[in-house]
Amino acid sequence: MRALIAAATGLVVAFALVLTITAMGTPTGKTSPKPLLTTVPAHP
Amino acid sequence: MRRKASLVLLAFAVFFAALSPLMRWYAFPRLAKIPADQYQDMVLEAKGATLLDYGTMKARKVSQVTIVQTLKGDVEAARKVHRATGQDVVVWDGLSYVRGPDGKMVSEIPERYIFDAHSQAPVHAAGEMVDGDPVKRTGIEFKWPFLTQKRDYEYFDAQTRTTNPIHYKGTRDFRGLTVYYFEQTIPWTKVTFPKVMPVKGITPESVAKTGTTRWYTTVRRFWVEPVTGAPVYGEELHKEELRGGTLLGGRAKVTAFAGDVKMREDYIGHTVALVKHNRTLVLLMTSYLPWGFLTLGVLLLALSLYLEARGRRPADPEPAEAQAPQPVTA
Repeated sequence: MRALIAAATGLVVAFALVLTITAMGTPTGKTSPKPLLTTVPAHP
Repeated sequence: MRRKASLVLLAFAVFFAALSPLMRWYAFPRLAKIPADQYQDMVLEAKGATLLDYGTMKARKVSQVTIVQTLKGDVEAARKVHRATGQDVVVWDGLSYVRGPDGKMVSEIPERYIFDAHSQAPVHAAGEMVDGDPVKRTGIEFKWPFLTQKRDYEYFDAQTRTTNPIHYKGTRDFRGLTVYYFEQTIPWTKVTFPKVMPVKGITPESVAKTGTTRWYTTVRRFWVEPVTGAPVYGEELHKEELRGGTLLGGRAKVTAFAGDVKMREDYIGHTVALVKHNRTLVLLMTSYLPWGFLTLGVLLLALSLYLEARGRRPADPEPAEAQAPQPVTA
């Protein structure tokens, strides 16, 4: 029974961690103020 | 004590074993995304190209034509589309600006491309366009999906505003990277004149009145790094002609542009370095971490079982108490 509880704990923590990280998502940031180029950049 | 340790190890073993598939099939599609705020520029060159001189209406050889391509993510527009569709999207505003050898504008084509941030599948929303014309893309453009497969894809051609297959033609090595080579041929197709013409006073409408039409063909080649889906190199054998009408002075056709367009060398180096870095990040989520977690889970489980077995083994019998030496009778 104790082994079952230990395994279930590991499973629940794994799900909780992944769901939390994915729920936080990726940062969207801000639109770059740089313009669409009409000149040739010297370097990347 | 051993039983307690084995239970803790079991919990960790299940934790890591569960984390492995969760990372690969749940977290990866939700976390690996093209950033909505991405800004990227690219310079391509066509050396020894043929270009139409609008003054004489004759084609001439020029030393070089340069194409500056910029892609800029509009974060606010992406949020708006997300609210409307529920999808995480990227809204790219692009500009392909073509400059002649004298630095003057040859053509400029703006685009808005809206796509799913993970799968790169096109998403249809207001504002999707090429040169001001509303379009509905049904294929990818600029970038392939993460974990690109060895198969043909549908690729959008901005000149014809159509989607056509781009064929997988084999696996190659490109500057130390394993890449998939794709090729698409667009046959001669009548296309619209750009909204902004290189000569002041000439508009697409005024050219249309002369009866002259614009035709285009291209062979598009991409070398795509399959893990990231990012092209590390691209080429286009691009040809444009003006055909018929009074503008050509009785000639049937004249070349408007012909050239082998290639990425500039410094941009190739930059792109390869960037893709190598991003490739590691994608592999971390799709391979390194899932396999690492699974291995760790199995090892911890084995250790847990070992400790459990040791804990259950019956204790060794107590050594018999040493008897006091007895006197021996002779």
